[in-house]
Formats: sequence, structure tokens, C-alpha cells
Amino acid sequence: MKVVITDDEEDIRSVASMSLGILGGIDVVEAESGKDGIAKAAAEQPDVILLDAMMPEMDGPATLEALRNNPDTASIPVIFLTAKAIRSEVDKLRSMGALGVLSKPFDPTTLATQVREMLEKS
Amino acid sequence: MATSRLENDRSRPQLNWSLSLRNIGGYLRSNLKLSHKGIILVSVPLFFELMFLGVLASLLNQAEHQAARLEHSRSIIRHCNHLIQLMYDSGATIFGMTLSGEQSFSDKYGVLMTEIPAEFKKLDELVLGDADRRSRLAQAKAVADRLIVLLDGYKQSLDGGQRLALLVNGKAKLKEMKSLIDELIKFMQDFVLPDLNRQEVDSARELETRQLVKGFLLIGIFFNVLLAFTAAVFFSKSVANRLSSVTENTRRLARGMELKPPIPGSDEIATLDRVFHAMAGQLIEASRKERAVIENAVDVICSIDAEGKFLAVSPASFKLWGYQPAELIGYSYTELIEPHDLDDSISKFKAIRLGLSSASVENRTIRKDRTVVNVIWSAYWSDVERSMFCVVHDITGRKHAEDALKASEGRVRQIIDAMPVGLLVVDERGQIESINPRTEQLFGYNSEELIGQHLMLLFPHSHDEKPESFARQIFEKALGHVEEREAVKSNGELFPTELSLTRFETLDGNRFLANVLDLTERREVERLKREFVSTVSHELRTPLTAIRGSLTLITAGAVGELSEQLRKVVTIAERNTIRLISLINDLLDLDKLEAGKLDMHFDRFPLSSVIERSVESVRGFGDQHGVTIEADNTAAQVYADGDRLVQVVVNLLSNAVKFSSKGSAVQVRVKEEQDSVQIQVIDHGRGIPERYKNLLFQRFQQVEVADSKRRGGTGLGLAICKSIVEQHKGTIGVESEEGKGSTFWFRIPTTDNSKEQRA
Repeated sequence: MKVVITDDEEDIRSVASMSLGILGGIDVVEAESGKDGIAKAAAEQPDVILLDAMMPEMDGPATLEALRNNPDTASIPVIFLTAKAIRSEVDKLRSMGALGVLSKPFDPTTLATQVREMLEKS
Repeated sequence: MATSRLENDRSRPQLNWSLSLRNIGGYLRSNLKLSHKGIILVSVPLFFELMFLGVLASLLNQAEHQAARLEHSRSIIRHCNHLIQLMYDSGATIFGMTLSGEQSFSDKYGVLMTEIPAEFKKLDELVLGDADRRSRLAQAKAVADRLIVLLDGYKQSLDGGQRLALLVNGKAKLKEMKSLIDELIKFMQDFVLPDLNRQEVDSARELETRQLVKGFLLIGIFFNVLLAFTAAVFFSKSVANRLSSVTENTRRLARGMELKPPIPGSDEIATLDRVFHAMAGQLIEASRKERAVIENAVDVICSIDAEGKFLAVSPASFKLWGYQPAELIGYSYTELIEPHDLDDSISKFKAIRLGLSSASVENRTIRKDRTVVNVIWSAYWSDVERSMFCVVHDITGRKHAEDALKASEGRVRQIIDAMPVGLLVVDERGQIESINPRTEQLFGYNSEELIGQHLMLLFPHSHDEKPESFARQIFEKALGHVEEREAVKSNGELFPTELSLTRFETLDGNRFLANVLDLTERREVERLKREFVSTVSHELRTPLTAIRGSLTLITAGAVGELSEQLRKVVTIAERNTIRLISLINDLLDLDKLEAGKLDMHFDRFPLSSVIERSVESVRGFGDQHGVTIEADNTAAQVYADGDRLVQVVVNLLSNAVKFSSKGSAVQVRVKEEQDSVQIQVIDHGRGIPERYKNLLFQRFQQVEVADSKRRGGTGLGLAICKSIVEQHKGTIGVESEEGKGSTFWFRIPTTDNSKEQRA
């Protein structure tokens, strides 16, 4: 299983990739921006993309739209990570076609489990 | 002593009599009505005159009777004399015939012989009713008859030519004749004697009667004069004197003198006098009051002659101007008037004199101490008296009040002009009557463009909306409330406002004050705040996510084995990081809850799902504390936000687990009620002291300060629960006994109240 994690915060990327990689046994590719995420996703063809909702320049929703518009990435499921986990925001992100929404701060011990569960449910 | 007393006793009734007579006189004088007095005045003399005439008539009658009787006697005497004369004449005729033998004597004798029986007959008629006299007359007639027989025989002898014989021998016969005549005369004299006597008596009586009549006449005249005089006195006393008393009183009243005492009695004059006294009393009282009013009036009351000089001034002048009335009389009113007001005042007073203008003049006057006093003159010009009557009222206080009111109005005007909200006064139809400058700025109209327009010009509305219905609905919604409503500027731009209306009354009906607050800025601030909260939450969470993740990775052994001491220290760091994250989450939640901005998603669902989810989510935490969780089964349906209810139950269960001892159990009980359901979370921990029960649901309140440190928690959980329950229109509370445990409960309605209310 392979995940592309897209977040502008390097620390978050590191914690997430360690959680998923070391604790969850998942292959993790880090991307530092929306653009980078799209490129890496197209190149790596991961099982799922974890996408930070709030990023400078190209934010989560814009990145999702670009992913969907790119035939190489159009079918890859996307899970948002957001610090703004209020219900209206969650519903908005879901309605854009995200597989799920995970709130920050996440629990590193259960992050991989949560991602797997979302993928299985779909 | 005894005698004198007797005399006194005797004299007293007399005195009383005279007193009572005088009383009657007085009574008649004062109590008889004028009409009755008139009747008495005519009838009493009339009665006496009639009586007098009756006596006179009776006397006259008596006199006439006497005259008739006298005439009767005279007639008898005349006839007797005539008869005696006839007898003598017949004798003389025979004697003449004897001497001369002439035929003329024979003729005369024949006449005499027919007259004698006739006279007897007349006499008999005159004494017809007197038998005695008739028999005497019959005796006289018998003598006369014998004489006539003798005379007839003598005549026959003469006629037979025996004259010479008779001259010689006839002496005896003549002698016999003479004795018969004498006898007859004697008879006649006897016969006539009663009449002669009566004539004498009656003449005396006639004289007496005449004297009586004369006497009566004198007495009658005297009485009538007396009566007339008495009546005149009576009338004068009872009417004229009393009337003159009334007249005198009118004269006295006119001169202001004291009136004569009231006339006693109950007749018209006494009544008139009494009424006059009462009227005079009222007049005097009225005049006294009038004088008192004038003298005590606060306003100056004065009269001014045609030249403008004071004729009379009331004492109030001292208080108003500092001048005594005597100081003003004879001086012109113009001397009191402030020079600047003089020309205007004089022309106004002239206009009043000519009847051209209203009867009041306002001006400033100068007091004796040279201070100015504002007055109003209410004036009336009398053509009859050729003077002006004025009441002068001090209006300095009113002027000051007016000035103060103007100043106050000015201040209020300034405040209204400076108000940061738009203020509009509209009438009941919604027509704009006045606005403040802020309204002009808000809507981009000037006041001329807005005044007279309908309120609907300023707020969006459908094209077919009628002004009346628009006004009605806006009054309904915003009267006494604050309504958020979009408004439209002159350029068509829309902007958010807060509109509220207040009704107030004016002299010509109700008005509404519309208060329009521009919300554009507030909305912008809210937007910025939302962005800020979002940013802060993101900016705080990002580093916390990194910290928490790192620490968890360490404690989970993802980066290698840890020493016991290191694990302990890192665990402390991890626990506090989690607490900090909870605190931020709770603070954000509570802020939104209390601002009413938390999204609530109401739906109808079974309560059991909420309980199951909650129990499931706390079970692991319970296991950590060695506390079991038991829950009732329920078929109750609720209309609520499920996630928020789970948040409440989880919070209560977490607390219950935290404060339960190892090995104990926590129960979730459900009590179904009429239109609501109560959920209880029961623990058997240490319980809550009474004094904390009410504080628990406030922010940052925990029973012991150490609790937050030892047992974790932000102190916001129950405050959030309370807000969520209240958003459901429910209630929350706790029952507890120290040392035995606590029961936290909340009750929420099972139906959609708001919907029912709307229906």
C-alpha cells in the first residue's frame, strides 16, 4: 500500500509518514505542496492521497480539483487532513469528492488504521 | 298691698289689650298683602257711607210721612172752613133776598145748596177710616140739613111773595136759623180740633226731624273725613312709609352706606325689602371678593386712560415692578417699557384701542431697580369708560423656560444630528416626516428627496407590493423588536441593517421612530473574527499535531526503546499536549455555542443509537480505570442533533468514569416522560458537595483545583453540555450525596417544539 502525503508543513509530513510508515507499515511519499502532490501522485500512482486542506498558493480543494482533472490522478482516492474540522467544513470537503476527512491533530497510533478503514469502506 | 295688687291685676289685662290691639295694627300693617289693604281701604269707608245713607233715607221717609199727614189735616181744616163759609153765605143770601128781593141772591143760594152736600161728601172721604169723626160729621150734617130745611122753607116763602110779611114776622125764623148756624159752627170746630192739634204737633216734629238730619249730616261728614284720614295714615304707614324705606335702601346701597334694618312682616314690601337686603348682601360680598381678588392677584390689574396714564393699579405692581400703586397713578405706562420695545408696544396698544388686533401685548418692562422683567399685557379698551383695562402677567419664568427648552431642543438636535444611526420619523401610513443627517449619508439621499416619500423606498420589496401592506408588515416585525433587514441606497446598492421601530404619540396622532443601524461594518468584523478563529485554530493545531504526533511516536516505541524515566517524562508531555488540544477544541466549541453559531443538525432518530455510540466511545477509557459501563435499553425517539447529544453523554460518562473507584460501575438510565426524555448518568464516586452543584456548569469550575491536574479535563465540559442541552430547549442538572455518588441528568423534548409553535 502506498500513500502520497501532501502538506506544506514539513513536521506534519514527517510525523504522518512515520505514523503511517513505521506504525502502519505503509509506503509513504511526501509532497510539499499541491503542485508537488499532483506530480508525485501522477508519478507514484498511490492507493490514496492524504491532502492538507489549508496550504498556501494551491490549497486542498484546488489541488483535489486539479487531481480530478488530470487523467493520471483522476481515480486516486483523496483523504483530507484539516485543522478546521468543523462540521460545515467537513461536509464541504466531502461534497467535493473526498473519500474522507481526518482532523488535525490526528492520533499517530491510529492514523494508518483510520486510512485503511476509509479505503475499505469505499 | 292687696288692693294695689288687685289694681295691678286689673290693669294688666287692659295693658295687654292695648298691646294686642297695637299688635293687630302692626300685624295688619306689615303682614296684609297690598291687594287686601286696597280692599280694606275702599270697603271700610264704603260701608260707613252706606250706613249713613240708610239712616238719611229713613229720616227722609219719616219727614215725607209727616208732611202727608200735615197736608191731610190742612185739607180737612180747609174744607171745614169752606163749609162754615158756605153756611154763613147761604144765611146771608137769604137775608139779602129778604131785604132786596133781587133774583141774583136766589141764584147764588141755588149754587150754595149744591156745594154744601159736596163739601160734606169730601170731608167724609177725608175721614173715611175714622168712625168717631164720621159720626161727628154726620151729626154736623144733621144740623146742616135742619138749617137747609129751614132756609128752603124761608126761601119758598120769599118766592111766594111773602117778603114783606117775612120782613115783619120773620125775625123768629132768622133767630132760629142763626142758632142752627152757631150750632153747626160749633160742631165743625169740634170736628176740626184734632187736625188743628196735629198740625201743631207735626210742625214741631218736622223741625225736629230736620235738625236730626242736619246733625246726622254733620256727624257723617265728620266720620268720613276721619275715616279718610285714618285710611290715609294707615296706607301711608303700611305702604308709602315702607316703600320709602325700600327706596331709601336703594339710595344707600348706591352710595355704599349701611342699609336700614329689614322691614318686619310678610307682605310684598317686606318680601321685596328682604330680597333687596339679600341681593345687597350678595352684591357687597361679590364686590368684597372682587376687591380681594384684585388686591391679592399675582398679576397687576390696572386701568389706563386715553392718554396712556395709569388711573388705578393693583398692589401687585410692587412685586412686579417695585412701584407702589400710588407711585404709578398719573404716570404713563410707556415709562415702564424697555425703550427697544416701546414703538412696537405703543402701536400694538393703539391697535387694541381701535379694535384691530388681539388683546395681548408682550414686551419687556423696567423695574424700579432697573432690572428687566418680561410681561404680557392682556388689554381691553372700553369706549364707555374711555380707558383701557389691563392684566399684566410676569412671563420671565416662561421666557426662561422657553429659552431653556430651545437650548435643550438644540442639544437634542445636535445629539440626533451626531447619532451614528439613521433616525426617521414616519407617520402611520409609513410616510417619512423627518430624518437626521446620518440617514442622508446611509441611503445617499438628501432630506428634501426623502421627506414625504414612503419608507418602502429604502427597503427592497416586490414590485407589486402596496405601500399599506409594506407598512403593516414592517410595523409588525420591527415595532418593539430589532429586525435585521437589507436596505437599498439611492444608487441601488444593498446593505445590511438592523431596523427597530418605536411608537410615540404626538398631538396629531401616532408616529414611529425608525432606527436604522448600518450592519456593514459589523458583518465585516464578524467575517474577520471568523477568519481569525479559523487561522488561530489552524496555526495552533499544526504545531500541536507535530508535537503530539512526535511524542506519541516516541511512547509507541516507533523510534526505539525508551528508559523508564524517559518514558515517564515523554508520557507527561504527551498527556499535557492532548489536554492542550482538548482545551483549544472545547474553547472553540464553547465560543461557537454561546454565540449561537454552532451548526446544529436536528433530526428524528432512536435515542438508543446515541447511547450506544457514547458508551462505545468511552468503554476503552472505562477499561483503563477499571470501571464498567451499563446502559438501559430504550425505544424512545428524539428530535435532536445526534452528534451533539453523543458529545454530551460522552462528557458525562467520562466524568463519571474519572470519579469512580476501580471496580465500580457507571449506569446510563433513560426515563421517558410525557413530551420529553431524561437521560441519567449515575456513578458511585465521592459525590459533590452541595455548594458546588450550581457552579459545576459554569466555565472552568471543578470541585477541587487539584482535579484538573490529577484527573485531566479542561473545566469546560459541563459548560459545553449545558449549552448543547439548552440549544435543544432542554435542562441539565445534578443530584449528589457526598461519599455515595452523583447522578448527572439532562432532559430534552422528544418532539420539535419550534415546529409545533410555528404550526
